[in-house]
Amino acid sequence: MNWLHVKLIFHREVRDQLRDRRTMFTICILPLLLYPLMGMVMMQVAQFHREQHVTIGVVGYENWPTDFPLIMEDKSEKIRWKKFLADDSMITEFERTDLKQAAKNNSESVGSSRQKSTESAAAEKLLRQLDSDVVIWVPPSFKESLSHESLVVLSNQRWERSQLAVQTLNERIGAWHSNWLRSRLMVSELGAAILTPPQVQHIDVSNDEMKRAIIWSKILPFVMLVWALTGAFYPAIDLCAGEKERGTLETLLCSPARRREVVWGKLLTVMCFSIGTALLNLASMHTTASIVMSQFSGLGAGDMIAAMGPLPLKSMGWLILLVIPISAMFSALALAVACLARSTKEGQYYLMPLLLVGMPLVMLPMIPGVTLSPGTSVVPVTGAVLMSRALMDGEYMHALLHLPMVAMVTILCCLLSVRWAVRQFESESVMFRDSERSTISQWIRNVWRQREDTPTPNESLFCGLLILVCLFFGRLSLGGLPLNWLSIVQSTIAVQIGLILAPILIMATMLTRSVRKSLRLNHPNASEMAVAFLLAVSLHPTYAAFAAMVGAEYKLGDQTIDMLMQFDSIIAATPIWCVLLILALIPAICEELAFRGFLFAGLVRNGGHVRAILVTSLLFGLSHGVLQQTITASTIGLLLGWIAYRTGGVACTIVFHCVHNSISMLLAAHSSRNASVPQWLTWAIESNDGQLGYTAAWCTLSVGVSITLIAWYATKTKGTGKLQSSESKSISNSNRTLKRV
Amino acid sequence: MDLVQVQNLCKSYPDSAQGEFIALDNVSFTARAGEVFGLLGPNGAGKTTALRILATILQPTSGSVRVFNFDVTTQADLVRHSIGFVSNNTAIYDRMSAWEMVEFFGRLYALPDDHLYPRMEKLFRLLQMEDFKECPGAKMSTGMKQKTSIARALIHDPPVLIFDEASLGLDVMVARALQSIVMDLRDHGKCIIYSTHIMREVERLCDRVAIIYKGKVIDSGTLEDLADRHSQKDFEELFFQLLTMDDNKSRQNGTCPGLSSLSGCNENSTRIGTL
Repeated sequence: MNWLHVKLIFHREVRDQLRDRRTMFTICILPLLLYPLMGMVMMQVAQFHREQHVTIGVVGYENWPTDFPLIMEDKSEKIRWKKFLADDSMITEFERTDLKQAAKNNSESVGSSRQKSTESAAAEKLLRQLDSDVVIWVPPSFKESLSHESLVVLSNQRWERSQLAVQTLNERIGAWHSNWLRSRLMVSELGAAILTPPQVQHIDVSNDEMKRAIIWSKILPFVMLVWALTGAFYPAIDLCAGEKERGTLETLLCSPARRREVVWGKLLTVMCFSIGTALLNLASMHTTASIVMSQFSGLGAGDMIAAMGPLPLKSMGWLILLVIPISAMFSALALAVACLARSTKEGQYYLMPLLLVGMPLVMLPMIPGVTLSPGTSVVPVTGAVLMSRALMDGEYMHALLHLPMVAMVTILCCLLSVRWAVRQFESESVMFRDSERSTISQWIRNVWRQREDTPTPNESLFCGLLILVCLFFGRLSLGGLPLNWLSIVQSTIAVQIGLILAPILIMATMLTRSVRKSLRLNHPNASEMAVAFLLAVSLHPTYAAFAAMVGAEYKLGDQTIDMLMQFDSIIAATPIWCVLLILALIPAICEELAFRGFLFAGLVRNGGHVRAILVTSLLFGLSHGVLQQTITASTIGLLLGWIAYRTGGVACTIVFHCVHNSISMLLAAHSSRNASVPQWLTWAIESNDGQLGYTAAWCTLSVGVSITLIAWYATKTKGTGKLQSSESKSISNSNRTLKRV
Repeated sequence: MDLVQVQNLCKSYPDSAQGEFIALDNVSFTARAGEVFGLLGPNGAGKTTALRILATILQPTSGSVRVFNFDVTTQADLVRHSIGFVSNNTAIYDRMSAWEMVEFFGRLYALPDDHLYPRMEKLFRLLQMEDFKECPGAKMSTGMKQKTSIARALIHDPPVLIFDEASLGLDVMVARALQSIVMDLRDHGKCIIYSTHIMREVERLCDRVAIIYKGKVIDSGTLEDLADRHSQKDFEELFFQLLTMDDNKSRQNGTCPGLSSLSGCNENSTRIGTL
């Protein structure tokens, strides 16, 4: 890698972008104008809102006791009162009866807005007729017997003004009510003091600056990330799709700069603009918001708004630190996606999907109660945002504790995105893509005619996503079944065979020439399978410890725990061979054929073994549906993927998977039965309060054994050799088809 | 000395309509220093693909391609240092002036300043580009753009120059100027690969030619050789005759459509032609 080339390209691209008026407008001018303009509009809306009056119609105001008036004319009031006599000509006899009826039926006190369907039409008409947001009807005898008569409030909750009017009226009636009560108490010689509740004093230990930091730390990272993504995307489109369109990319590709260097040069440019946009927006929004908020607080708004003064400089520093890695990641992603586009117009289409994928990660930290923890620190973007928030809140020790994990995840994501972008640049089919000229029927015919021995990476990925979608709906529809052994059997078979095995079998027969190769059914090798068996046994203690750790970090809900207990007791009551067949063997075969078979076979093509291992493990994890299981299954999926890669097929992973499930089931069943540990196993398994667990000695020993067994696989080259030969065969095969064409 | 050696070059692309599309089928030719080698063929014959492989922009599917005795697959960096590539697809940057553009590429070739600037001055003088030195790409005429491209390709003084339909869209004046530049370069001992489908240019410029059609070289040699072999003095007639012969042959074999449906065939073959 020649960094001089990278530097030259970077300088050129930055200069080019700075000379582009469109980019400069979106990146520099727009943020500077946008927020002040938005602030202005907001101020005006607020002004309008403050000046908005609600109209309350009082029907039968002559019935209201004069010594405690409800209506007090006041200039600053937001209420416009409209008084009607009870026998006002605008109120028809019908409505009057209706209202009287309602008053009688209404057992609730003042302020309730009960409406019956029969009277609602008439009531709505009345509201319109009286041109009021809410109408309060005072019954004729209200003055005489205040406590026995109820007021009827008519409102239309469909109208926002009506909602507001009810709220205002309730406040007013409440005030009137306590006033009236007080006077009644005075009369009855009890005294109004009886109504004074004990005083509660609130003391907030945080200072204004901290409060401000916390409020801003929730809003600003979100704004910043959205702009970092948007700021990365437009230059990325211009730098990739735009160059393709203008024809300058080929000029650059025949220069001494290598593709990797071109990518890095462009990436740094995109990153530069991404960071620039994010920071400019941040600064502009922050300044405007502080000014607007200070205006609000001057007008007597709430304390929280008052607390939104300028963000402390230190916190700003942490935010700036956050934007660098996140921008790097978004830039690489945007660059890779922009490479796919043939033109800038096509590039614009890709922005929305990218935003949709990125948004949940950005939104997650905004959910109340989500804080930096071992669990959230492994989520890309989210972890980094929470980290910066912790730093802004001044929780340095807490942040430092999670720094290694967050840094690792962020760096890994950055590297993967960069790798993807470089791959896109190196791929001829991506860089020199031309518009599709074939019709759909031609394409389908071609997919059939050009079937190969194994599925293509795209077919595999599509199949994986299809399985996930099927499982999502399948589980929802099976969720209502009662928990008993029969329903477990039914749902397991339906899910495993119907939703996992069937799709891959159909796709393998339809889309490939060799079902055996596309499911990676290799000739089992006895020693490899024996090692898989032993590895599953020796790795189980580590897995159990890991699962317990995950369980402690992401607490299971009470309902789920109940279900699991029930599940265990059902297993305990069923013959063990049935349990092993249904819950260990069938899932092992179906899931392995799908994830380490069909999906792996497609994704491993073109030297994509890292891709195959990562993607299949992720899909395998997600297929389990429960977050805790997703994490543990993804982790074990990595190992299974690697074994499948080393051994060139699914035989070993089926053995591993089956043995692993069997051990889990046996332990659960025995624990549930409160059975004692057989004598010959006491060195490895012990009973803790009825729960079977591994002894410390075996736990330690098993780690060593596992490492040895994994190392044994690592030294085996046979499997990879086999894989390569089958891959080269498929290449020669495609050459043959080529010649035939 | 053979500066460009192409042997049994094959190139195919995945194609959603046909599965695999063969752009080049066993193409072989060589080009020497001090000669203009013409690559002739109708639109979409595979010329651009072949030249892009020479320029290391595309990878060959099979066969061997050596430029200045460097392999295009394994020694791509060295190949790129020894060629200058000018094509219709190698556009110039809109927001960069001619001077900045040539300077940028000169720096990419790692030319030291004391070498780069005199070289640039010389090229700008020779190509008569001094008037529009500071003109941004977006405001240049087609001729100015082509000259800038040529200056860009010549900045590192490469032994091999590739012109891919470089005269397309140029007016007579500029096309003449281009031809004289090419002849001048040949006289300076450069090896020039010149692809075109304009017969007048071939007659004026090329020492030897290869006629390429549907991804195959159907004949090659000096212009005199070809004229003698097919007893046809008029080169345009000769060219058309060769293509028709090839079509007839393939129609007899019952394989690919003939010249009448040439456009159908070409539509796919230009797949790689447009970036």
